[in-house]
Amino acid sequence: MSVKYIPVQWNRNKWIYDAVMLIGVILFLYLFLFVSPEILSHENPINPQIHNARAFGACAFIMLTVILCIGPLARIDRRFLPLLYNRRHFGVMTLFVAITHASYILNWYFAFSSSNKFEALLFANTSYGQLAGFPFEVFGVFALFCLALLAVTSHDFWMKFLTPPVWKRLHSLVYFAYVSVVAHVSFGILLDQQNHVFTVIFVGGALSVAGLHAYAAWLEYKAGDDIGSNQGGWVDICDASEFRDGFAKIKILPSGERVAVFNQGGNLSAISNACAHQNGPLGEGRVIDCLVTCPWHGFQYDVTNGRSPAPFTEKIPTYNLRLDGTRVLVDPVANSPGTYVEPVPLPDVVTKEVLV
Amino acid sequence: MNEAELILFAAKIWCGIGALVAVVFLTFGIDRIDEDADGAYVFRPLLVPGVLLIWPMVLWRWYILADGKDEWSHRYRPKRHNHVWFALLMPVAIVIIIGAAFSVRQTWPGDIAPEPLSAPAEVSE
Amino acid sequence: MSEKTPFFVGYLPVPQGLRRFLLVAVLGVIALFGVVGLVIGSTQDAPEQSGFRFDYGRQTVTGVIEMTPYPILRVTEGNDLIMPGKTLMLAGQGKNGIDARTGPMAGGLATVTGIVLQRGTIDMLQLLPGQRGIKVAEGEAQPIETEALGRWKLAGEICDGKCLNGAMRPGRGLAHKACASLCLLNEVPPVFVSTQPVEGREFMLITGPDGTPLPDMAYDFIGQFVSLEGDLERRGDILVLRMDAATLEVIPQ
Repeated sequence: MSVKYIPVQWNRNKWIYDAVMLIGVILFLYLFLFVSPEILSHENPINPQIHNARAFGACAFIMLTVILCIGPLARIDRRFLPLLYNRRHFGVMTLFVAITHASYILNWYFAFSSSNKFEALLFANTSYGQLAGFPFEVFGVFALFCLALLAVTSHDFWMKFLTPPVWKRLHSLVYFAYVSVVAHVSFGILLDQQNHVFTVIFVGGALSVAGLHAYAAWLEYKAGDDIGSNQGGWVDICDASEFRDGFAKIKILPSGERVAVFNQGGNLSAISNACAHQNGPLGEGRVIDCLVTCPWHGFQYDVTNGRSPAPFTEKIPTYNLRLDGTRVLVDPVANSPGTYVEPVPLPDVVTKEVLV
Repeated sequence: MNEAELILFAAKIWCGIGALVAVVFLTFGIDRIDEDADGAYVFRPLLVPGVLLIWPMVLWRWYILADGKDEWSHRYRPKRHNHVWFALLMPVAIVIIIGAAFSVRQTWPGDIAPEPLSAPAEVSE
Repeated sequence: MSEKTPFFVGYLPVPQGLRRFLLVAVLGVIALFGVVGLVIGSTQDAPEQSGFRFDYGRQTVTGVIEMTPYPILRVTEGNDLIMPGKTLMLAGQGKNGIDARTGPMAGGLATVTGIVLQRGTIDMLQLLPGQRGIKVAEGEAQPIETEALGRWKLAGEICDGKCLNGAMRPGRGLAHKACASLCLLNEVPPVFVSTQPVEGREFMLITGPDGTPLPDMAYDFIGQFVSLEGDLERRGDILVLRMDAATLEVIPQ
């Protein structure tokens, strides 16, 4: 993060990211809004307002589906991580598309009566006791509310202000929003549509999100980080020979926190695995120019003291560590963020082995 | 006042209080609790909608930070186990919802013919 | 995870080993959006034949106002398009009925002006606002016969007469339910779509029993495919179904 906040941070890759996303959305809307009516050539055309509402609604659904696929994809194959990099902009754009959908609906289905259209939205259908004919609009309203909450708290200020764990929890609302969108579509247009092409695309999209998340969770369960074993108050990480220069070993401490032990040029240092920005997994990052670099957004830290290089001010906790023979042990009590810890050189035996 | 009016009225009150909090927090409070915001003004209007929606949380965090009660270790304790729950419950919810929708989906019963039950009684006026 | 995987840092140039992968991913996302937009857009169901007949222009006819309790006009003095003997459902602009305006005129002659909405055998007239839309006509209203057709069991869908008649396309079904409820709450005449024609009519005005409006409980069934029983009557060229709320049920799939 720069020293002072600015409204939106952009760089070359973010420009490319936003451009790709914009091209995709514009292509979707252009083909839906202007090309599909020609292909349909209905004798009694669909009302433009309904056609537009469907275009923006379908677009928002596809956007949210893609957004939610990126997370598990990046966990399954790290090459997808760049798609995660600027996902916040994607999310904010989804909100705008969803709002457009909602306003077409509101200004068409709920307008033209003597009542306020927002009130009409709430009282027109009150069949809450049934599945078919349920006021599915409320699912859309809830999802829109969640997307709005996410978008308006997406600035880096909020992350620092609320703390990354709270911010992440707040932004977990995206899962509830997606489930709500699935219900919105399932109990709305899905019950009406006679042509099942949309049904196939919708169910396929929703099941992709479901399947990828379940698969990634299973992978993490099978091959996730291990709990370090306790050795007289210290936590055993691994044998010194397992370290590779520029990479880390991650272990879960008794407190549930994760520690990342880095090998930087034959010296070991232990830092918190949670990045100060979004709690990204620092231990899955690498040492670049002598600085540990987070795999999510590239935040960097000096591994010996957990401090970002000036002018940045981020700090993360460090941990004391020692060698017991060739075993690497970490003190599970974290030092306060930014505390310098003297790096522990790898034992000669190990260094020689590595060199051979 | 019906329920719909009541809900909208409550929403207006909520955002109204939020607006007051936003004015005070973004003009006086923010510089004191975040050094990165000191002297940065252009980004502040972007925060207004956020304060409108979650102003109680803003007041709470403002109080914690201004009072020096912020516990630093909490910042580095991501709730990663929560994510596993979301990752497992979301697929289940999606499958149940789509299944429920298909279970109530009707097809137009075009084969049901109108059935006369009784003859006309009399011709009314 | 492989340590050989190229490491992407957002503010640095994309590593060589990732460029081809990202190019494919980017083109894939753009193609996905394009194809899905086109495919969903061009496979929407065709709305049925219905709509405002602006091409006919404003129509002015005279007839007898009847409150079923939803207002209808039994035309006695028509024009080239709307012949005497025709029956029109009446509604106001937007999602509004005109009970307040027609109520005092019930049983009397009135001249109405508006735009026709046509759906199959049933027509609705959307009246102009105020006196321009409806006014008392000179003359004595002759009693017009209503023919009882007995009790029937029918299957079909409860809709609002205005959207069904083409004020909205599509204007029925569950996705449209809230809009239909809003119309009906505002006293737009409801219409029942029967699975098969009765007496040559597949669309009919639907009301509660004994001249009452559509019962409240029926609102939960709007847009679903239901079966119900009721007394049918013929008023001019339209049918009126007096539904028996106790018999209303959803047709099992």
